[in-house]
Formats: sequence, C-alpha cells, structure tokens
Amino acid sequence: MISVTPKPLTSQQQVQDLTNLPEEQVALKISDLNLFYGDKQALHNISMLIPKGQVTAFIGPSGCGKSTLLRCINRMNDLVDSCRISGEIILHNENIYGKHVDVAMLRRKVGMVFQRPNPFPKSIYENVIYGLRLMGEKNRRVLDEAVETSLKSAALWNEVKDRLHDSALGLSGGQQQRLVIARAIAVQPEVLLLDEPTSALDPISTLTIEELISDLKKQFTVVIVTHNMQQAARVSDQTAFMYMGELIEYSDTNTLFTTPAKKKTEDYITGRYG
Amino acid sequence: MINMKLTNNSVSSTKEKSTMNKWFKSGSPWVWLSAGGVSLSLISVLGLLWLIASRGLSYFWPADIYQFEVQEKVGQPYTVIGEIYERESIPVAQLIHTKIKFDKDAETVERILVKTGNRELVSLDFRWLLMPQITTMTLPKDVVVIERRTNGNFYGFIDKVILSGKEVDKSELPTLVERVEKFQSQIDALQKKDIGAINYQLERLRLKEKKYRLDNELTIQRQAEIEKETQALKAEYQTLEKKLLALRTQVARDKLLVHAMDGQQVEIGLENVLDVSFANQLTFFDKVVVFLSKVSDFVSDDPREANTEGGVYPAIFGTVLMVLLMTIIVSPFGVIAAIYLHEYAGNNSLTKILRIAVINLAGVPSIVYGIFGLGFFVYVLGGSIDQLFYPETLPSPTFGTPGVLWSAITLAILTLPVVIVSTEEGLARIPASMRHGSLALGATKVETLWRIILPIASPAIMTGIILAIARAAGEVAPLMLVGVVKMAPTLPLDGNFPFLHLERKFMHLGFHIYDVGFQSPNVEAARPLVYATALLLVTIIVALNMTAVSIRNRLREKYRSLEH
Repeated sequence: MISVTPKPLTSQQQVQDLTNLPEEQVALKISDLNLFYGDKQALHNISMLIPKGQVTAFIGPSGCGKSTLLRCINRMNDLVDSCRISGEIILHNENIYGKHVDVAMLRRKVGMVFQRPNPFPKSIYENVIYGLRLMGEKNRRVLDEAVETSLKSAALWNEVKDRLHDSALGLSGGQQQRLVIARAIAVQPEVLLLDEPTSALDPISTLTIEELISDLKKQFTVVIVTHNMQQAARVSDQTAFMYMGELIEYSDTNTLFTTPAKKKTEDYITGRYG
Repeated sequence: MINMKLTNNSVSSTKEKSTMNKWFKSGSPWVWLSAGGVSLSLISVLGLLWLIASRGLSYFWPADIYQFEVQEKVGQPYTVIGEIYERESIPVAQLIHTKIKFDKDAETVERILVKTGNRELVSLDFRWLLMPQITTMTLPKDVVVIERRTNGNFYGFIDKVILSGKEVDKSELPTLVERVEKFQSQIDALQKKDIGAINYQLERLRLKEKKYRLDNELTIQRQAEIEKETQALKAEYQTLEKKLLALRTQVARDKLLVHAMDGQQVEIGLENVLDVSFANQLTFFDKVVVFLSKVSDFVSDDPREANTEGGVYPAIFGTVLMVLLMTIIVSPFGVIAAIYLHEYAGNNSLTKILRIAVINLAGVPSIVYGIFGLGFFVYVLGGSIDQLFYPETLPSPTFGTPGVLWSAITLAILTLPVVIVSTEEGLARIPASMRHGSLALGATKVETLWRIILPIASPAIMTGIILAIARAAGEVAPLMLVGVVKMAPTLPLDGNFPFLHLERKFMHLGFHIYDVGFQSPNVEAARPLVYATALLLVTIIVALNMTAVSIRNRLREKYRSLEH
C-alpha cells in the first residue's frame, strides 16, 4: 500500500463541485472528446471542467491516455498525421478545434513543458525570450525585464543571473527544466501544461519543481500529467484518474485519494495495478 | 602405452584448439585486422603525398650543372652541359644493336637523362648519355643558367655583357637584369591594366553603338557622343602606346654574348632574360632562397611557352573561383531540396522514389554532366540569354559559349546529391523535442525551421558542402566541355566593370595537369611541372576543405550537447 498524505483542507478551500463551476472560474471546458490514432481510439468521451488558477493533475497507468489528453489542449496532437479528434475544448468561449483557430496563437496561450528538458542550443537569455521574439518583440528593456521576471518565477534567477549569455546546454537537468518552464511562462500564457515534468530529474530537482508549481498557480492555470501519485497528491488541487482512455474519476485531490468513489481508482491508488 | 600417448596427444590438440578459439573470441584478431586496414590506407595516402611532394618540390630546387665529356665509339669526343634529370639501369642486351662493347661481366649499364636546354641550337631539350661513354664529368664554376621568356633555359658561359653597344664588366649583370625586370613589370602592368581597360571600353562603345542601331535608336546626337568618346579613348591609347614603345626600347638596350656547350656563340637580348644564375656557385643557403623564390614565382606568375614554363596563377585563380561559385550555387539549392524532402514532402512512395533518384544522381559519371551542361546550359540557356540580352554581340556569343558560370552550375548539379543527402541526415538527427519545444511556444513550422532546425543542422550542412567542395575541386572531365581552356587571356575577375565576368573561360589546375603532362610539345620536360601542379592542386583542395572543416567544428562545438 502506497502511503499518500493529502494536504489538509483549509477553511477557505471548499470542496468544489467540479461538474458545475461558475463560468468565470472555468479555464477549460472539455466536452465529449474522442481521439483516434488511425483506427485505434485513444480517448473515449472525455468531458471535464478545469478550474482557473488551480493545479489539475492527470494520473493513471501508462498508456491510459493522460498525456494524449494533455496534448489535445494545445493541439500538439496535430503533429501526428494519423490523429483524428472529435468533440470540443473550449477556451475563452471558443472551441480550440474550431475552423478559424490560429494554432500558433493558441499555443501562446497554452504553454507546455515536456518530460525531458529541451532547451534550445542557444544562450539562457535567448531561450527565455524565444516566444517573445516570435511575437516580434524587439525592445531590449522589455526583453530584459521579461527574462528577469520569468526566471524569478521559475526560481532560477539567482542561479543564472550572472551567466545569462552562456549556453543553456551547460545547465544541469533540473535547471534546464526550470529554464524551460521560464521559457513557457515568458509569453504569459493562461494555461501551463506540464507533461511529467519531473520524471527525468533527481529527487532534489523534483522537489524544487514541485515547490515551483505551487507558486505558478497564482498566475496560471496548471495542468500536470504525472505517473507519481505522491506528486499528484502534493501539488494538485484536483485530480483526474484515467484508465484505458476513459476518465474514470475526477474530483478534488483530497477526496480522490482518501475516499475514491470508483473501485478502479481505489485499486490504482492502493497499488493493485499501475 | 600406445593408448596413453594417443590420449595425451588429443588432449594437447584440444587445448591448442581452445586457446585458438579463445583468441578469436577475445576479439583481438579483429582489432589486428582493422588496425591493418587503417595502416594500409594511411600508408597509401602518405605514399601518394610523399611521391607528389618530393617530385613536385624537386622541380624548384636549383640543380647542379654538369659538364660531360663524351666519347662515342666513332667520331670526335664532344661536350654536353646540363642538369641530370634521371638515372636508370638498363640491361646490356637492350643495347646490342648499337654494337657498343661493355664489360663482359656487366649485365646492366647505367644511363642518365640530361636536360641540355638551348632550344634554338638543338632540337632536343633532353639527351640520354651512357655512363661508360662519359670520360669526364665536372661541375664548372662559371657555367650559367639563363631563364628566358622564350626558348626555355640556356646553359653555357658568358662571354660579354654589352650595355648599349659597349662591353662592360660581368659584375654589372645583376643590376642590369634587375633594371630590365623593373621595366618589364611596368610593361606588363601597362599592357594588362591600362591598355586592357581601354580596349575593353572601346569594345563596349562599339557594342553600345551596335545595340542602338539594332533597336533603331541611334540618333545623330548619340552617334556623335559615342564617336567623341571613342576618339578620346583612342587618343589615350596613343599616349599609352608611346609610353610602351619607350619602355620597350629601354628594355632592349642591353645584350649578353654567350657560348653554348659546342662553342657556338649566341646573342641574347636582356629583354628575353628572366633570371641569370651561376648554379654551381650557390651555397646551400642561396639554394634555399632560390627555391623559395621559384615556388613563389610558380604560384604568382602566368604560364609561358604553351604552359610548359612559368607559373600557374591563372589556374589557381580559376580553380578557387569556380569552386567558390559552385559552393554559393549548390548550398542553398541542396538545403532547400533537403528541407522539402524531409519536412514537407509526405512520407509516401513518391518521396521515396525521389530520394532514391537523388542518391543515384551522385553515381552518374561526371562527363555525362559535362555533356548535359554543354547541351542545356551553354547552348540552350546561354543561347537564349544572348538573344535576349546581348543581341549586339551576335553572332559571337557571350553566354552561349562555355564559361566559368556554366562550369560552376554544372558542378553544382554534380554535387547537389551530396549536399541533399547529408543535410537530410542532419535534419533527421535532430531530436523531436526541439521541434516540439519550439512549436509549443507558438512558433509556426517555418519559424521553427529558421530559428531552431537549420542552426542545429548547420554542421551536417557544412559536411555536405565539404564533400561537395572535395568532389568539385578535383573534377576535370565535365569542365573540359563547359568552360576550361588551356590558356585564358584574362582572368574572370578584373578591374573592368562589372569586375566579375562570369561568361569568361578560365584555367583550372586539374586541366592544367592534363594539358602539361600529355598535350605539351615536350612531355619529358613538363613532367616535374605535372607533379608540382598536382601538389598545388592537392594543397588547395586541402586548404579549401580545412576552412570548411574548421567552420563545421565551430558549429559542432556550439551544438555538441545535442549529439546524444
């Protein structure tokens, strides 16, 4: 039995009704999402509301579709030729799979951090301002400021402030991952997607990133995929458990880990399979 | 007893077998085999370089001048003066028909090849001498080697130095030679630069007039203008010509009176003399100085005497310019094609066929590209360009004839597959996470390509360019059809607007080697020159490659951490 220690409920934090959130609190609304890779269906009828300014975690055994679902939110699945999607994801009252959506613009609003740190072979400075440069920002002062605030938000500023123009490839794995997070938040996205951001890192770096995630939710809506249940319990406000492409259970993290409603969820979090 | 022995034997043989097996399994035979392969290729490369370098560099080393007294079986003894080019042993049996008697025991006899020069006196530059027939062999101190503009070297002795008709002391000679040299370089500059420029402008004026006439736009005013300009240029030409004539008389002032090995006296005008050296009086240090100056002359002078003497500067220039043009043309095309194949073309059978076709293009014999270049670029493309843009020069073609541009384009097509293949490989090696990282930040595909993919792929692109340069710089066959000539009167780059004349024909080191080695009137004399030119060609290709390699290494250093 894996010991999971959920955060104690504070008095302000009420258990939310995730099926019926007031509109101003919804960051993303996913409805009836089906996804096929060729003939194989990878996601089945996913519907959920992701609340604003909070951390939502997707957990589940490998191959359950949690990363696929995450990639739907910024349309990274478009890169897979055989991928077909039906259903809707609503961001700002607009279906991101609508006809006239500019995918590049969408990805600016929905940033993403991947499993393995992938800094570009440029300087730390250039890495952070990559997104801003794409938007055509040239003002040196704006860029300098963005670098400082983003690196501070990503808790990396103190470590790299003296070597901003060194290659980003010289950083350690944990630093690289924080740099990638800084790069993602430099363009001020609304939603930040984290795809198993700590799976390639050592425990200390993992801890730093986890602390960072709790800070990040003050500014952004964070969606995190993790295979590590303790991590989900530690950092998230609500957790979705997925199995075989289906959303089995979605509730606030405390409830899910202490009193799961479904048998499958219970089996998974108690370590019967996974 | 016998039984015992047998078992013993079999035990030892299995033991041997197992040690053998062990040795094979340990992998050391393969280490030896691969090390052997490496050393074999190393030896062949070094051997090749050593042969070319030793033969080529010995061409510049001032040789000793021998005086041989030769007594043949019949006839008077005679004198031969010259430098020893080669020694070889030949079997006596080969000389039986000459009915010369040698030592009875001797199976072979040594003979030497002597370069005697003095082309105006004897028809042959070279002469074989049999060692047994040489009675004496000396190194006369006052023998002189005179390097001349025409008729090759002169070997002999100075009798008199004549300064405007009066004999002066022989010690005056170096100053006189230097003076002539100074005037000669002035003459060269005058002819090539100033008079060349006037001729070029006159030709342009003529063409301008013809163009107006063709377009029916030749007004009286325009004609008058052109006429005026022509007159001005002609006047300028007159003054320059006078200057030239004055210089020529200055140069023709002094003379040398010399006698050759057979006692014949010859008069050599100093205007014909490039260098006078007393080869047998040179110390080792002097020889080094002469060696270096000869090497520098070789790379900086124009060829003389049907390319068998003088330098190869125009060929070096042509080779490098053509390769650079080729690189400028092939790089963008190759990279664009590779990007299309790898990034945009769907992963279907048509793409696969295209890719195979591209790879196979590298296997087409180069002469085929030459024919294609001649047929398509020169005649079709060049011919149309002439008709569209240069109707005034017709029927003499401008671009519709082989030239440096067509050579560069033909070689660009020849090397295109190399650039495409290595660029594609470079693109394929880039981890997907780089693309995803960029796309996830809101970059479009094109932005990702420009900002991330191409910079990371740049070392691979450079590798392609390096291979292309290596291939193109050594290619001769197609060039013979699309632009290379034995002797180009002008370089493709000069001081006359528009400075770079892409339509001009050019000289190339590879073709120069072929021409000097096999097409020259005196193949024997040109052989060292062939080696020297080959050495130069290798050096230039290595230099071009090294430049590209150092650029690539710098790029690799930048993106090194990605390579795993």
